[in-house]
Amino acid sequence: MPPSLAHNAHMLTRRHFFSQCAMGLGGVALASLLGERDLFGGPAAEHAFASPFTMKPAHFPPRAKSVIYLFMAGGPSQLEMWDHKPKLTALNGQAIPDSFLEGKRFAFMDSSFKNRSTLLGTKRKFDQHGQSGVWVSELLPHTATIVDDIALVKSCATNLFNHAPAKLFMNTGTGLFGRPSMGAWVNYGIGSESQDLPGFVVLQSGPRGPRGGPVNWGSGFLPTQFQGVPLRSGAEPILDLASPAGISEARQRRALDAIRDLNLTRLVETGDPEIATRIASYEMAYRMQSSAPELTDLRGESDATLRLFGAKREEPSFARNCLLARRLVERGVRFVQLYHADWDSHGGPGQTLEDDLEKVVHEVDQPCAALVKDLKARGLLDQTLVIWGGEFGRTPMGEAREKTGRNHHIDAFTMWFAGGGVKPGIVLGETDELGFAAVQDRAHVHDLHATILHLLGLDHKKLTFKFQGRDFRLTDVQGELVEKLLA
Amino acid sequence: MLLSATCANPGRDSALRCPRPRRAGGSHFVGIWRTVTLVPRRLGAGTPQHGVPTDFGILITKAFVGILALVGLVAPGLAVETVDSQHPKNSQHWAFVAPERPGLPDVRPRQWVRNPIDAFILAHLEKENIDPSPEADRAALIRRVSLDLTGLPPSISDVDAFLNDGRSDAYEGLVDRLLASPHYGERWGRWWLDAARYADSNGYSIDSIRSVWPYRDWVVRALNADLPFDEFTLWQLAGDLVPGAGLEQVIATGFHRNTQVNHEGGIDTEQFRIESAVDRVNTTATVWLGVTLGCAQCHNHKYDPFTQREYYRFFAFFNQQENDGHGSAALEAENTLDLGTPEKLAALAQHRKELKQREKELSDWIEKELKSKQAAWETALNDDAKKEMKPEVLAALVVTASKRNEFQAGTAFNAFRDENTEYQERRKVVDEFRKKQPKLNVTLVMKERSEPRETFVMVKGDFTRRGETVEAGVPAVLGELRRSEVSVLQGDSRRSDESSAVARSERAPKRPEGRALNRLDLARWLVSPENPLTARVIMNRVWQVYFGKGIVETENDFGRMGSPPSHPELLDWLATEFMERGWSLKAMHRSIVTSATYRQQSNLHGGEPRMRSVNRTLAADFDSRSELHDPRSVDPVNRLLWRQNRLRLDAELIRDVQLAASDLLVPRLGGPPVFPPQSEGLDAFTQNKREWKTSTGGDRYRRALYTHIQRTRFHPSLAVFDAPDAYTTCTRRLRSNTPLQALTLLNGQAFHEFAQGLAARIQAHAGNNDAKLEFGFRCCLARRPATNEKARLEQLLSDERKAGSEESAAWLTVARVLLNLDETITRE
Repeated sequence: MPPSLAHNAHMLTRRHFFSQCAMGLGGVALASLLGERDLFGGPAAEHAFASPFTMKPAHFPPRAKSVIYLFMAGGPSQLEMWDHKPKLTALNGQAIPDSFLEGKRFAFMDSSFKNRSTLLGTKRKFDQHGQSGVWVSELLPHTATIVDDIALVKSCATNLFNHAPAKLFMNTGTGLFGRPSMGAWVNYGIGSESQDLPGFVVLQSGPRGPRGGPVNWGSGFLPTQFQGVPLRSGAEPILDLASPAGISEARQRRALDAIRDLNLTRLVETGDPEIATRIASYEMAYRMQSSAPELTDLRGESDATLRLFGAKREEPSFARNCLLARRLVERGVRFVQLYHADWDSHGGPGQTLEDDLEKVVHEVDQPCAALVKDLKARGLLDQTLVIWGGEFGRTPMGEAREKTGRNHHIDAFTMWFAGGGVKPGIVLGETDELGFAAVQDRAHVHDLHATILHLLGLDHKKLTFKFQGRDFRLTDVQGELVEKLLA
Repeated sequence: MLLSATCANPGRDSALRCPRPRRAGGSHFVGIWRTVTLVPRRLGAGTPQHGVPTDFGILITKAFVGILALVGLVAPGLAVETVDSQHPKNSQHWAFVAPERPGLPDVRPRQWVRNPIDAFILAHLEKENIDPSPEADRAALIRRVSLDLTGLPPSISDVDAFLNDGRSDAYEGLVDRLLASPHYGERWGRWWLDAARYADSNGYSIDSIRSVWPYRDWVVRALNADLPFDEFTLWQLAGDLVPGAGLEQVIATGFHRNTQVNHEGGIDTEQFRIESAVDRVNTTATVWLGVTLGCAQCHNHKYDPFTQREYYRFFAFFNQQENDGHGSAALEAENTLDLGTPEKLAALAQHRKELKQREKELSDWIEKELKSKQAAWETALNDDAKKEMKPEVLAALVVTASKRNEFQAGTAFNAFRDENTEYQERRKVVDEFRKKQPKLNVTLVMKERSEPRETFVMVKGDFTRRGETVEAGVPAVLGELRRSEVSVLQGDSRRSDESSAVARSERAPKRPEGRALNRLDLARWLVSPENPLTARVIMNRVWQVYFGKGIVETENDFGRMGSPPSHPELLDWLATEFMERGWSLKAMHRSIVTSATYRQQSNLHGGEPRMRSVNRTLAADFDSRSELHDPRSVDPVNRLLWRQNRLRLDAELIRDVQLAASDLLVPRLGGPPVFPPQSEGLDAFTQNKREWKTSTGGDRYRRALYTHIQRTRFHPSLAVFDAPDAYTTCTRRLRSNTPLQALTLLNGQAFHEFAQGLAARIQAHAGNNDAKLEFGFRCCLARRPATNEKARLEQLLSDERKAGSEESAAWLTVARVLLNLDETITRE
């Protein structure tokens, strides 16, 4: 490295240290500690000292600053909600035309399946809504009111038809464990604006967590600082956030001051920039001890806002999580992911298209619409990308269980996108007349990943990490930008 | 972009070889050239000028050569050697050629050189005109080597004994004591278990608990006994196939049973059987060969000479086992090994046999007697009875028996059966008998199926697309797996215990003509002296533990896209030494930790020119040289090892160090997994709620090695410090540095308990505040505090007292501070 560059790197690091770590240094005579030694030991520091909370420049100007991903775990039925198929209803109960089955594999289905399954038309009524005249089913009265603000993509497609691998695929671009999730990639790519909260936060509601669990928001081979941090609904929103019993805030601060000073002494002694990062981590941890409870304290939200979302201040729910999601992006958090279960409408007990689907739709319909409206009212929608969808869709055939249900389907399902540079009020893609497959503007998961990264100012082909001898990407070797989705 | 991508890995064996052009042709060229010089292929002792490769090639296309020619960088017609891609065997990539014993380089300050390792290191430092750092002081040394060899910090009395040991070989004596400690096997066992992707649960979405901990304990035992690495390999990959295999050999095959098992309903079991086999192939290639063979699963390898066909030949070794239980929990019992006395094993076999018989009798009775009564039962059902029934049962009963679908028929029959009193009684008897099964430890093992399975190339890696049929074999570039090549041992200088003698006697060629090659043949080939990779790859990963980076930084990719070794001769010396010492890991550990290289200070000032005067022993030698360079500028990332590296401890060691500092550690070895405290509410984010029965008594304070590993819900205090997730093999851990780590250490229940333990220990220590503070400090860091450090702790203590804290509370704060110091969780 030329001397001038080395010097700049050195000064940069030094300045960075003061801005990142030196806050609240209190009575410590920092200058006298640092003055004696060449603290950062030359250009090595630039290499080794990368604060986990640093903002990084995007590849090109971003349209969205933050993402709120509403993950409908279990595979919501697009045929009951979005994909209006009068022909399917007309053919209800009839055998599936052979032409639709060639070369396809389905979950839970053996060779006798064709004889047992018949086409299932939905019982739900569809109507057109908004200026854009988008067809939406009666199950979604609230979402129907925001169709002019969203882009409905009816031609989504994925590769895997079992829950856990399919969720992984949707989050990481592969069904294999050990790859980084989208939120981790994004934070790796552009960092986070928040100095007081993690850059990737996960919230969960419904009867159980998503299959696969934390690997869905894992950092894979990326450094762990990029993994999603689950925000819990109990008294302690982040694991080990509260000081141990009997440790007052003043005592915690006294301990932290001593830790910082002694670490600083060691930093001077060894010149290891990793210690500077450690000091920064402890200070952020301390700030999180107050910022996270402040985040989850909804006393400052008006009754009108709570009514809009259908949320209560204390009671855990998807609605409350939607409100928290807005508060998170307000505070600069880069990627927020909400999981809500359970959408697995097979027709068995607790999984019927009749009662159980209606129940789960009811839990999300109002809050989803409220989130978009609320973000818009606060001027945040332009810079916040909202994503709604599950890991796959459901088959046009019914399942032979005690009530009606549908099976997992990967060739066509519906998601919607709003804000953050997405063209509002459009429907993208079309499926065949029975809803088996996307026949127009097919948007594969890899394509959606490329598009989401694009909206954040990231070129999916350039966002790489070298691992096991090659450069990995979220989109691996695939992914085409869905241009029509862009505003 | 193109340039950096293609030039990143110069190698002699590129598809096209382009000799270095004579002179630069403008600024464009300079950019290319500088990229290349940053990554010299070999920094050999014989290379005249360090940093300028004498022979290099870059991976470029013909088109790119054309571009180079067009812009005048390469003279048209310049010799461009083409390597026949159809015969990749001829490849001369360094890693695919067996290591040869290198000669020792001639270096000047000989006093510094303690063993050959140092000579290789110093040769490179000399070329850059930089000095090694001074030796670390004794307190730092004993803490460093204790953590590295046993994963536990030294006790204060250990430290004092070492400080007062005036013998010239005090350090070597310490190393020998540590290598003999049973905790050595625990520390290095965890190193191996990372590679083995060891876990106590089945993974995938259901993630039920499994019992394979006897394998974990076997690893610890084997390492403590210094089982030669070639046998260590043989037993793990094929212990079941070693003729006359004993229990230990079979337990060792648990290595490849650490793959996940998917119990989810509705899955395609063949798909997951193949996924397990793929994992075994890729893991074997990564762990022993350090190559990315997995890249050839769907197509020929893009960079290394591995064809897709060769991938499936390798796959054939792991295609001969049964489905491990994918799709059903019941199958798993088939491939487990029961562990116990012969009497207990006999009793278990008897019980199983009888249970099977009783189950059969019951189902016979159901078929012959019970089923005939269902129709009568249905007819007799009155409205009251129906009111009690579940809706799905009623829905089934409405349908005429002959017209019910499978689901309805099953529902109706189950409802009838469960109400039948005679059935209930019979069922109860069988269930009671089942509960009487003798309780034995079990472990998962590998077992070959009786009928060989045909292996074929899977087109694009898709198991439903059948390609050419292949036979088991290894990639041609790595040598041949010949029928006669089965004797893998060199001269037998090693210790010979009974079990290894059994294994060794079986190494004579036994394979009858025509028998397909199996895992045992593969294992023997992996540790044969002709194999160019295994010894290098293993030594590189050992080195990585001691210095934070491997000699080959891409420890899992020794192929063309991997980074070239920083010290190729050293790597080859370590590899050949490893084999010559009878594959003894302990011998190699001893060589490395007794080297001067290892014993250097780790601080970044070590190379400051003004620090030199401290190094009095070497002063004469070094000072005679002109113009020493500041290594921080020459080698900021310390590739040349002009100092040791400060390394944050591995997740498990952070717990262990704190347990030891607080004196709560229960150092018992082995046994079933334990459940130390963890924060509540973790289940909210996993599919299946699992109770975490927090261990009480001694098991609460065991080393982290024994903490139950639930794949989908990894213990948060381990996960937060980058413990591997156990889904796939892990050959290098990340070292992140995050606020969540701070929260864990400050506030986590387990860690707070350690702080309380340390506080009590400090308070119980005789002496005044000063003595107490020093004692607490040394419990964590081994060294004595500097004056300013002690002053800061005294200030803390007095601040606490001023704030009205009780004496115990004041000391608790001191203890929390000590346990949270960066240095406490760092090996310096």
